[in-house]
Amino acid sequence: MTAIKEATQTFGLTEKQLLEVHYKMLLARALSVRQRILQRMGKGPMTFSGEGHEAAQVGSAYALRPGTDWVFPYYRDVAVAVTLGMTARDVLMCFFARADDINSGGRNMPSHFSQPELRIVSGSAAICTQAPHAVGAALASRLRRLDEVTAVYFGDGATSTGDWHESMNFAGVHKLPVVFVCEHNSYAISVHWRKQAAIENVAIRAAGYGFPGVTVDGNDVLAVYGAMSTAVERAKSGEGPTLIEAKTYRLMPHSSDDDDRRYRTREEVEEWSAKDAIVAFARQLKELGALDDKREKEINDRVNQEVDEATDFAEKAPAPAPEAALRHVFVEDKGA
Amino acid sequence: MVSMTKMPETAGLNGEQLLDVYYKMLLARTVGQRERMLNRMGRGPFAVTGEGHEALQVGTAYALKPGHDWVVPYYRDIGVALTVGQTARDLLLAHLSRAEDISSGGRNMPSHFSDPALRIVSGSAPVATHLPHGAGIALASKLRGLDEVTVVYTGDGGTSTGDCHEAMNFAGVHKLPLIFVIENNQYAISVHWRKQAAVEKVSVRAEGYGFPGVTVDGNDVLAAYVAMNEAVERARKGDGATLIEGMTYRLVPHTSDDDDRRYRAREEVEEWTKKDPLVRFQAWLKEHDIADQGRLDELQEMAGREVDEATDYAEKAPTPEPESALKHVLVEE
Repeated sequence: MTAIKEATQTFGLTEKQLLEVHYKMLLARALSVRQRILQRMGKGPMTFSGEGHEAAQVGSAYALRPGTDWVFPYYRDVAVAVTLGMTARDVLMCFFARADDINSGGRNMPSHFSQPELRIVSGSAAICTQAPHAVGAALASRLRRLDEVTAVYFGDGATSTGDWHESMNFAGVHKLPVVFVCEHNSYAISVHWRKQAAIENVAIRAAGYGFPGVTVDGNDVLAVYGAMSTAVERAKSGEGPTLIEAKTYRLMPHSSDDDDRRYRTREEVEEWSAKDAIVAFARQLKELGALDDKREKEINDRVNQEVDEATDFAEKAPAPAPEAALRHVFVEDKGA
Repeated sequence: MVSMTKMPETAGLNGEQLLDVYYKMLLARTVGQRERMLNRMGRGPFAVTGEGHEALQVGTAYALKPGHDWVVPYYRDIGVALTVGQTARDLLLAHLSRAEDISSGGRNMPSHFSDPALRIVSGSAPVATHLPHGAGIALASKLRGLDEVTVVYTGDGGTSTGDCHEAMNFAGVHKLPLIFVIENNQYAISVHWRKQAAVEKVSVRAEGYGFPGVTVDGNDVLAAYVAMNEAVERARKGDGATLIEGMTYRLVPHTSDDDDRRYRAREEVEEWTKKDPLVRFQAWLKEHDIADQGRLDELQEMAGREVDEATDYAEKAPTPEPESALKHVLVEE
């Protein structure tokens, strides 16, 4: 094992963990790329890409305890799902809407993550409706005196909704063990943050709900991990919620149905591409001595192989039987 | 007129205006009491009144231009309605659901004020649904380049709703000529503010929307007037929205259907009764030689008479024809 040169910057993460973080970011990136390609090939109905958000997503989710803490992601959170333990296969089975899709058996839209064992809670497509669910889950954990933390994810657009306000206020007054993670990419689909709110950092709103809000560089995976670890500790020790605003950028259009050339300049996209979180973290790992070119290639190959195999598996997997659409609507007899 | 001994403390209002302010407060109090009494006599279906809120309501509404500025009140705002120009008769016709009730022709609940000529906009009963309406009206005024100001009123409970957040964010980003007046009486019906929010003052939230928020003593009518004047000026010259939070207390139950003994101590009510804004302003008027006890008594009698006459008139006024319930639903020839 190569020694880590500057341990203070890594928030106590071991070299093995740092490489795992790197791997999760790469896997999420590869899954987004693959889904976009498959969609353009006409093989999948729709995609939501998380490209650009990997540092914000992996850095925050890595501070959670999979299967203990409750996670309410939004549709861009492929890297959150992967960090908690969802596999490339789970993600692609969902993309193809297969019968064995763990998320919804092919019922929900792609990227509407759900995995009971990992405590990833299914959400609705309507923006920010998961936030009231999350504070409800956090209230339940507190009333039951369980050592569980809830994390709820959303974009900057969500902060303009009434549901967000009601959830923040509820979390504040009941001092709930919940972390609000805002992946602030400056666009509510096509509406720039300047047209959404008259403030620069949404984190300042936390003061109006009686708990701390912090703004972090959402392209710095370790900075996000550090902020999330602090927030999770606060929640666990009964000190209540935190709002984390991770400033980042969506490198791809909102979804496969969006043409972002209509609302943002190519120069802006290029500028942010130069700040790509994955490239930055790989460079950081090399500086720390945790990664070299050979190892980087091995990890890349592993990721590509995983995504290739998952694609093959999911493409061949059966679609749901049409009658399956009738299930999970009414109570069914055990024998049926 | 009595001469003014301490001009700077009068917020730029002359003696006549100060007595006008006092009279509106008195009239609002008297109408509130009358409606509660009529309800207990079985004559009115329901009363939702504003005793205790008069300083905040009259003080803020007095800074508006009636018939020019848009007013979007909530159900406790008897003092706002009267200050902008509604009469005791208007309010009692609404209380008794009479055919000629200007607010809704007997259709809406009492205290759901509406008066087209005065630009008092009809609201819905669900809490804070009128805040987005207010933001929309203010946007219209701005787009049309008019120097109209919109004011929305709500209680502290209203601030916990999603509609409040969306209206405030919209007002902030579009820099709307809109004023949010929060009548913070510490109770969302039976839920105390401590159980509603983890902050002491809701005005701190304004910063998160990019406009100023101030908290004033809501039982000090002149403080409310001064704060509102500044906000109106800001709005009129295009500087955007303001949140004014007035700390006050509802001296009576939430409505005629509420028993406040179930959620608040009598000692607390008594303590606030001592801070009654009417009593406080009476003392101020005497201290500043604006009125003596004789003049105050005259005004009291005058308010009593006005409300008596309004009650008589409204009681004798006809109720709506049953068939009129079918009107104002579909387009009529």
